Amino acid sequence: MKNKIALIIVFLLLNTVVFSQKKYELGKVTIEELKEKAHPIDTSAVAAVLFQVGRTYFEYSELNGFGMVTEIDTKIKIYKKEGYGNASHAYSYFTGGSPSETVTFSKAITYNLVDGKIQKTKLKSEGEFTENRSKNYFRKKITLPDVKVGSILEYKVVIRSPYFSTLPEWYFQKEIPVNYSEFLACIPEYYVYNVRNKGYVPITSSVESKNRSITLTDKTRATGTSTEPTKFDYDRIDYIETQTKFVAENVPAIKDEVFVNNIDNYTSSVIHELSGKRMPQSSFENFASDWEGVVRKIYIAENFGPELEKTGYFEKDIDIILSGLASPEDKIGAIFNFVKSRMNWNNNNSYYCDEGVRRAYIDKTGNVAEINLMLVSMLRYAGIDANPILLSTRSNGITVYPSRTAFNYVIAGVEFNNSIYLLDATHKNTLPNILPFNALNWIGRVIRKDGTSTEVDLMPKSNSKDVINMMATIEKDGTMTGKVRENYFDYNAYSYRERYNSINKESYIEKLEKKYPGIEIGDYEVLNKTDLSKPVVENYSFTHNNAIEVIGDKMYFSPVFFLAETKNIFTQEKREYPVDFIFPNQDKYNISFTIPEGYAIETIPQSKSVAMIDGICNFTYLVSNTENKFQIVYTLDINEAIISPEYYDVLKNFFKEIVDKHSEKIVLKKI
Amino acid sequence: MFIFGFYKLFFSQILKQNLIILLVTFFSIAAAAQKIKFPVVQIADSLSTNSNAVVRLNHQEISISSQRKMTITTNRVVTVYNKNGLSAVGAVTGYDKSRSLNAIEAVVYDAFGNEIKKIRKKDFIDESAVSGGTLFSDSRVVYLNYTPISYPFTVNFTCEIQTSNTALIPSWMPITDYFVSIEKSTLNITYPNDLGFKKKEFNLDNFKVKKITDTSTQLTYTVEGVVAQKPEELSPDFIKIYPRVMMSLESFNLEGVDGTAKNWKEYGQWFSEKILNGTCDLSDETIIKVKSLVGAEKDPIKKAKLVYEYLQNKSRYISVQVGIGGFKPMLASDVDRLSYGDCKALSNYTRALLNAVGVPAYYTELYGDSDKIDIESDFFSVQGNHVILAIPNQKEYVFLECTSQDNPFGFQANFTDDRNVVVIKPEGGEIVRTKNYDDNTNSQFSKGNYSISENGDLVGRISIVSEGTQYQKKYQLEKLPPTEKERNYKSYWSNINNLIINSTSFFNDKEKISFTENVQISAVNYGAVTGNKILFAVNAFNQYSGNLKKSRNRRHPFEIERGFIDNDEIALTLPAGFTIEAMPDNIELSNKFGIYRVEITKKDGLNLVYKRKLLLKKGIYPKEDFEDFRLFIEKVRKNDNSKILVTKI
Repeated sequence: MKNKIALIIVFLLLNTVVFSQKKYELGKVTIEELKEKAHPIDTSAVAAVLFQVGRTYFEYSELNGFGMVTEIDTKIKIYKKEGYGNASHAYSYFTGGSPSETVTFSKAITYNLVDGKIQKTKLKSEGEFTENRSKNYFRKKITLPDVKVGSILEYKVVIRSPYFSTLPEWYFQKEIPVNYSEFLACIPEYYVYNVRNKGYVPITSSVESKNRSITLTDKTRATGTSTEPTKFDYDRIDYIETQTKFVAENVPAIKDEVFVNNIDNYTSSVIHELSGKRMPQSSFENFASDWEGVVRKIYIAENFGPELEKTGYFEKDIDIILSGLASPEDKIGAIFNFVKSRMNWNNNNSYYCDEGVRRAYIDKTGNVAEINLMLVSMLRYAGIDANPILLSTRSNGITVYPSRTAFNYVIAGVEFNNSIYLLDATHKNTLPNILPFNALNWIGRVIRKDGTSTEVDLMPKSNSKDVINMMATIEKDGTMTGKVRENYFDYNAYSYRERYNSINKESYIEKLEKKYPGIEIGDYEVLNKTDLSKPVVENYSFTHNNAIEVIGDKMYFSPVFFLAETKNIFTQEKREYPVDFIFPNQDKYNISFTIPEGYAIETIPQSKSVAMIDGICNFTYLVSNTENKFQIVYTLDINEAIISPEYYDVLKNFFKEIVDKHSEKIVLKKI
Repeated sequence: MFIFGFYKLFFSQILKQNLIILLVTFFSIAAAAQKIKFPVVQIADSLSTNSNAVVRLNHQEISISSQRKMTITTNRVVTVYNKNGLSAVGAVTGYDKSRSLNAIEAVVYDAFGNEIKKIRKKDFIDESAVSGGTLFSDSRVVYLNYTPISYPFTVNFTCEIQTSNTALIPSWMPITDYFVSIEKSTLNITYPNDLGFKKKEFNLDNFKVKKITDTSTQLTYTVEGVVAQKPEELSPDFIKIYPRVMMSLESFNLEGVDGTAKNWKEYGQWFSEKILNGTCDLSDETIIKVKSLVGAEKDPIKKAKLVYEYLQNKSRYISVQVGIGGFKPMLASDVDRLSYGDCKALSNYTRALLNAVGVPAYYTELYGDSDKIDIESDFFSVQGNHVILAIPNQKEYVFLECTSQDNPFGFQANFTDDRNVVVIKPEGGEIVRTKNYDDNTNSQFSKGNYSISENGDLVGRISIVSEGTQYQKKYQLEKLPPTEKERNYKSYWSNINNLIINSTSFFNDKEKISFTENVQISAVNYGAVTGNKILFAVNAFNQYSGNLKKSRNRRHPFEIERGFIDNDEIALTLPAGFTIEAMPDNIELSNKFGIYRVEITKKDGLNLVYKRKLLLKKGIYPKEDFEDFRLFIEKVRKNDNSKILVTKI
């Protein structure tokens, strides 16, 4: 698990280069471009972005100070009817602040080749829509007219925003190929941004400095009876603007794959986050430049640190809960269970409290921060060394560079007996070190009371087990009867409880019967659905009429019967992104069965064990028998949750070997 | 009206005693309302069994006071047992410019019936209801966003909507969810006696729905004690099984336009005159263009083909629904200029183009869905959700799907086929049944070969020709990017491990409506090698993977909505030096559900021909037949996977 970051991100060197002088401007459509039938590199592309050029700069107004303006020019080519979706575009904006954000489309034109001539069709207001999504959230949409196969579409959009803690994330990569993508960040010397990029596409950059100035008007009103006119004074302030240009060319379309964490982690983009202010005549104000700085900033925010200090609202209740408990283990368990049972997560992720812990406690409902910060302060109140751990959920992407937006979630960590226990009270079925899957995302950062922080590995240290014990008898007609006991441990138990605890028994049995075609299930029971301290246990008996092939006087069957992996989960020929199994896992089958009287073994699969390089996965398959009784022990260990694409071929082959082994048959012969 | 409807339920006694007292003591009654409880212990065991939620009460009060005013009040009380029951709360409503939301409120009670939270209008979430394929619409949705703090709990939801759209009286459907039982559900609708109120009832007897009142001004139904329903495989559509009442007025208003229609004929006349009239305008330039397009062609169907092809190359589907635009098509001249529109706009534009070249064509409303849902022929109300175009062809019609850019001319499978639709002509609406794709039309013919090497590897090629409904499922294959094509075949032949697709080619014959795939494949270890023997499934290319669950207590019939036929003829070659030790017997099953026949012929020691036919017949079958059908399918599935065993000599 070393060097996790290297698994997902290829660090990109921002080279200083001199860009070619080719111009990327709207309104320069050529007949050649219109005639182009297919994308020269990706002939299957339904459309392509010929260029997208963006520029974010700051504009000063005396009323509102600096505001951010982003202008984007886009030129798109449509190759196939399936690419028509690229003729509609939308940008969201927020109107709750002062001034409002605004989105303005212009120069939206469709170009077609008609009788050898270029025909322009302009977008009119009828093709522009303003959608009020919810209070203060709007979205402006356009759909271009007269779009055909071969059309070229152009539009410009200008987004004005008073919020510039981040610049708009610039995506070089999209679902269609992008021939040229350029983003110019023009930042006044007063602001300092952290720049980070992600994805696998090479990006080049260059930096230039420009002199800029602001003119301030001071109006002196005529006073008294004076007949003098109102006087204007002008102040000119000079400053330096840093212009950084990012360029990517011939960017392939992003493609989704199976077993992928979050495709956005791999989609090439550049992100700017405000890390400091350097205003005239004041000292540099640092927001976030390293992890310590980021964390300190979060810690001192009023919705975080001070919320941790509050204890009055729960003291009475916690005193009762703690009474009679002496060991730290008991105290941790009691408080964790108390918060889990009292509090209900409102599905909102954040590391900041929304209504505050006190309100949340009364309402029994809260966001992630309210529930887990409350848990931390209760544990501290009980004398336990507990701290919040910031992390980024799977849907938010992976934390690589220091920034505030790199996190969106917080859990509790207890340092105890030289190890750290991770607690998340937002889900009812969690346990210490069993987190909801969305939170199980590589690394977090623990914030201690003194504001210092350290990286914490969130990934499970041991494989979650799933153990199936099966005892079966094969009848002379090829039917099979038996009993199954399946034990789900750790993350497997968590997953079972989250998915099936509120499904009724009858529907669940039907689900199982559908999973194993030919099986009929009886005497089904499930134990420990709500007793989280124990594994989930399922017991059932079965008859199966489809597990044995009877051909002439012989019987053929896989000794792992209907549990056999018959299909390779990896079919793709090439892999772009890491394989994500979410958590390390062990599947174990203990199968014992009796063959019918009057039959003898003709052939039997050999025992086998296969280990993938670097200890990533391994399986063992052991066969033994005494007369008519057989015993199979099959164990598959997936020791790493995340596997680099370099291992893909080996991994695919490893799973092929499993499938091959599972399809090997025992052959019985009538005697 | 809202308050009235609400109290009427809980204080019907008081209401009966003295309405005046109720009005005078309004505020004290309102205070008493706070004490209303819905303790969970009062729920009968029969209703809590297999339930994720129980509808304690669902009362819908519809009051039509004039042709242009309808008020709909809902009071829905639901007890939720677990997270799967949350969606049954149903504290949600839509509104737009012609449907105003007068009031909305929810009160949450704990299991004992204590009030724990009240959610007022401003605390509901109000969002735009633009979804899926729609670019813009003025519809909005308002819903309750409540985080349960313990289960079970009960939500008492009330809301009132007022609208001028009396053409759109919501159907009453007491049962809408699986695993949700119902204590009581009622509908009370009142209307002036001169607007021509009508209703049509469906499946009421199955669930003992009682009609309490049925007069010239009022209609009331109630149903009580409905146990939780379970989904069943191959069940006919929900609306074909469960109770439903459709309602309409002969004198109605639709998005500000008054109308009168007693039946489909009159609806067609009204719609032609008031809605469609004047929407078929085209510029002279366009008329000249379309005339030159058809040239000297005389045959109306051939002309229509040319025009349809022109449409498909010119336009794209964009859905914008605002006000009457939800019912009235955009002007044909606008579609001509913009080259986009929704189903209404594109159908109407095509109608205009056809009219310009002298081909009659009619705007046609229907319910488009993969399930076959009819427009009720003997009951007029606004029932459609989609529009296509009908072109008379001798005594029949050819129907055109104008939203598709690649549909063959007149092809309807799987979305608009085999159902009653209303063809709107100036002289009146006409109910017509669309094309039925019968069992033998929905065909797939596979012809190919494969050989097995002595280490079990497979090399093969196949040609698959699909028609009818099977064409619809295949014809877009050729447009997929290479990785998606590969994914498709690896899923279609998921029975072949280690599959490699060596080449693919396609032929889409839009004239015949026939799609051909030519595929070459290979796979290592297709056969399981054990010592000097190889075991493998003979049917490599078309294994039926259908799998039905055993149904322990089936309540409803089952339906095969569309039949199909598959024919396979595959030549297979064994590795040299091997001999057949055992192979599957020929089989023929024939019953009311279909035919399954497999025949394996030995050509010589190493060459076999595998022939297979599977026919499934369209039909609705009684529930008693389900187990027979399940066993039939199981035999097919099992036999499709039966193995041949070869041994090295």
